[in-house]
Amino acid sequence: MTKQYGFYFDAGRCIQCRTCELACKSTRDVAPGVHWRQVVETWSGSYPHVIRSFFSLSCMHCAQPACLAACPVNAITKRPADGLVLVDTGKCNGCRDCLEACPYHVPQFGKDGKMQKCDYCAGAGGQPQCVQACPTDAIAAGLLDDLLKKPKGKLLKKMDGATGPSLIVTTWPE
Amino acid sequence: MSFREAELIRTFCSMCGPAMGCGINCYVRDGRLVGIEGMKESPVNRGKLCAKAYASMQWLYSPQRLKSPLKRIGVKGEGKFQEITWDEAIHIIADKLKQQKDQYGPESLAVLSPQHRSYKDYFIRFLTVHGSPNYGHSGICAMQRAFSFAYTLGSPFLNADYENTDLIIVWTANPAYASTPTGSIKRILDARDRGAKLIVIKPELQPDAAKADMWVPIRPGTNAALALSMLNVIINEHLYNHEFVDKWCFGFDKLVPHIQQYTPEWAEPVAGVPASQIREVARLYAKAGSACILAGNALDQNVDSNNAVRAIAILIAITGNLDKPGGNIIPSGSSMPPVKPVNPRDRYTRDLVDKLVGPEMPKFFQPFIEGASSAYYHCLNSVLTEKPYPIRAIIAPGTQPTVIARNSKNVIAALQKLDFFVVIDVMQTAAMPWADIVIPVTTMYESDHPFETSGNWIMARNKVVEPLGNYKSDYQFWLDLAVAMGYGNEFWHGSMTECQNYQLENFGMTIGELRNYPTGIMYEPKPVVYEKYRQLFASPSSRVDKGPYLPEGKVAIFNTTFEKQGFNPLPEWVEPPEGPTGTPELLGRYPLVFFDTHTSDIYHHGWLRNVPYLREVQPDPWVHIHPDTARSRNIRDGDWVIIESPHGWVKARAVYFPGIRPDTVMGLHGWWQGCDELNLPGYPLLDGGANVNILYNTEPGKAFDPLVTAMPKQTLVEVRRAECRE
Repeated sequence: MTKQYGFYFDAGRCIQCRTCELACKSTRDVAPGVHWRQVVETWSGSYPHVIRSFFSLSCMHCAQPACLAACPVNAITKRPADGLVLVDTGKCNGCRDCLEACPYHVPQFGKDGKMQKCDYCAGAGGQPQCVQACPTDAIAAGLLDDLLKKPKGKLLKKMDGATGPSLIVTTWPE
Repeated sequence: MSFREAELIRTFCSMCGPAMGCGINCYVRDGRLVGIEGMKESPVNRGKLCAKAYASMQWLYSPQRLKSPLKRIGVKGEGKFQEITWDEAIHIIADKLKQQKDQYGPESLAVLSPQHRSYKDYFIRFLTVHGSPNYGHSGICAMQRAFSFAYTLGSPFLNADYENTDLIIVWTANPAYASTPTGSIKRILDARDRGAKLIVIKPELQPDAAKADMWVPIRPGTNAALALSMLNVIINEHLYNHEFVDKWCFGFDKLVPHIQQYTPEWAEPVAGVPASQIREVARLYAKAGSACILAGNALDQNVDSNNAVRAIAILIAITGNLDKPGGNIIPSGSSMPPVKPVNPRDRYTRDLVDKLVGPEMPKFFQPFIEGASSAYYHCLNSVLTEKPYPIRAIIAPGTQPTVIARNSKNVIAALQKLDFFVVIDVMQTAAMPWADIVIPVTTMYESDHPFETSGNWIMARNKVVEPLGNYKSDYQFWLDLAVAMGYGNEFWHGSMTECQNYQLENFGMTIGELRNYPTGIMYEPKPVVYEKYRQLFASPSSRVDKGPYLPEGKVAIFNTTFEKQGFNPLPEWVEPPEGPTGTPELLGRYPLVFFDTHTSDIYHHGWLRNVPYLREVQPDPWVHIHPDTARSRNIRDGDWVIIESPHGWVKARAVYFPGIRPDTVMGLHGWWQGCDELNLPGYPLLDGGANVNILYNTEPGKAFDPLVTAMPKQTLVEVRRAECRE
């Protein structure tokens, strides 16, 4: 396998401040209503023993992208050099089969009807904007192998999933 | 094309306050701001920003920006204006203030406290030169805690030594949403990752509480009850630091019998926290090797404020956590030369202070650290009561009295009756329809002043884009007005350059020279020194008489200064004006406690609802309600509901929130504004709108802390499904 870049997410440090969401929108000029990255929350337990967790969700540049497999016009490619999953909007016909296929509901559609999503700020230089912006360093980006070595004292694993998401997560709650 | 290829201009944010803003790298193409990022060189935010800052380009270029000074031509409240020039506006205001000064005395002018603090110094100077002490501070923010800390521990401000602590208690603060990029939440999470324990005391499971080892879901407005019962446990179980108490505390012997009434069993029904959990928190705090408390803004907003903060201060002291590694520490100061102040702190006289229309703290204690102050609400209310005299002119710079002050009905009645009202803002505001003159001002991106400082860092502000209309900065407004009033000698003859050069005299440089450092100048931090007790407990107060905060030179557990002025010498429990244990007779009709949060992940008080990137996150006014509480009222997640208190009613969308006390519901203050771009509506200010400040009690004698104002943001309500939104 060639190199695979991806994200790291520590739910124990995510505070749903939405800075990643807004940094993404602002610096990449994403239209209102379209979310390349979004923080979602889940609840479990019952009062007062309630557990509230946050997950900052974007495209995870999967090893076996379901969107790519589903695309009838080959608009989605997985770049060999870095493993990023990218969309050619010139080719996209707006059929939304990718949205149907993605288990994480990642593909987004703006006014032009073409699929758009996180491109890892590829071409923008430096780290993805969400990573730069995160005030608590809950998100990181890099080669998956490097991310697995990230912080000491955390239990890390590659996120499970049939499509092989390129995301390293900490296990939370411990 | 990446925005990074555009021209880089560095500045800093001033959208929120009170502190120095976060450094921002701004990218400009053809005179237009096209991208922003956090400035890594800034020690304030270290390259980070918040959601609001990232949305600020839409704020800068909003269609709701004010473009020209306006003069009202319709009746008050109607919102009809005609454009005038900046100079015309300045002269209309100056003529009116001169006439009122002659006719009613200079104290007839009040200026309300703004959101961003650095420019309050300019109008406090203006007020002082004019002869009015009536700086209308909110009465519900920061100074309330600062006052009680100062008069108990000798310092208005305490830092938490997160890096060295074993246990952190976040006490009704919201570090996840307040000043997110400046680091306290990061430091708390870092401490947690290295093994420190985290306890969070607040009525709902906000993100910091979601990370806690223990969540203490306190009932809103009962912090003093919890703190007093923790003192009861710590004292009766002998968990306090005997050595520190013997050496450095005054009146501990009087506290011991006083505290016996506040058992955990007594506190349980009041604070809504099980006695067993109160004992556990008290023991964990007292037994930790070191522990620090982050005391938040909710402590400033109930009639128990001074009691709650004094009790917390005593907890910090008697457990030996004051100015110790890992405890609550007193800042060691900075090696940066002192900035020469615009605020004329040395000019307060007893005569000036005696003219306060509605002192935020009693006159004896004035001025406090920001200057003399009347309570914001009292300034407005004096227009109606004419007691002790009516304020005749109010200037509201960067503040929205109709949505952020309690009892909006009274506020609007006061604005209706007021002789002269001036609104200063970057954007249309809720109070604007009542203004005689509206002064638009620059955002942080359109001005090259003032420089600002934080800790050991100083940086000049740089203009990023030219002003988008016929206006100047809020700082320049006060200088221009002062010149028009004939006060030019005191205001650098209207020159902000001269003003900044004066402030920089101790630095041996001019503002022009400071600009040669594009990311500012960092001075060496002073080494941290702990246990500065002798110096700390001898601190001179801010009062006219400059007597010490602590006349005994020790922690004032028993406060002789308060006793002499007729206030309770020991902290005690005071019921809020409406609550389950204080007014059980109301529970039949109003069975739920309502409170509101002032700290949002995406909004800032009464602002930013017009910014599409932010409004899409929370398009509608909301109320957090426990699913069981909602279901028992036939309310579904997302339903519009009516929230009714004894004082008014508002509408909001119910949000099922499993992490809130089932007997409590919480909203967000500041809703009034629409968002044109997303076609989302604004809301009426009074009944039937979404302005939670109409729900609260403002009865004199019941709704005010006698020492620090601290009007409650907590009441009793019933919530029911609305038939439809309209």
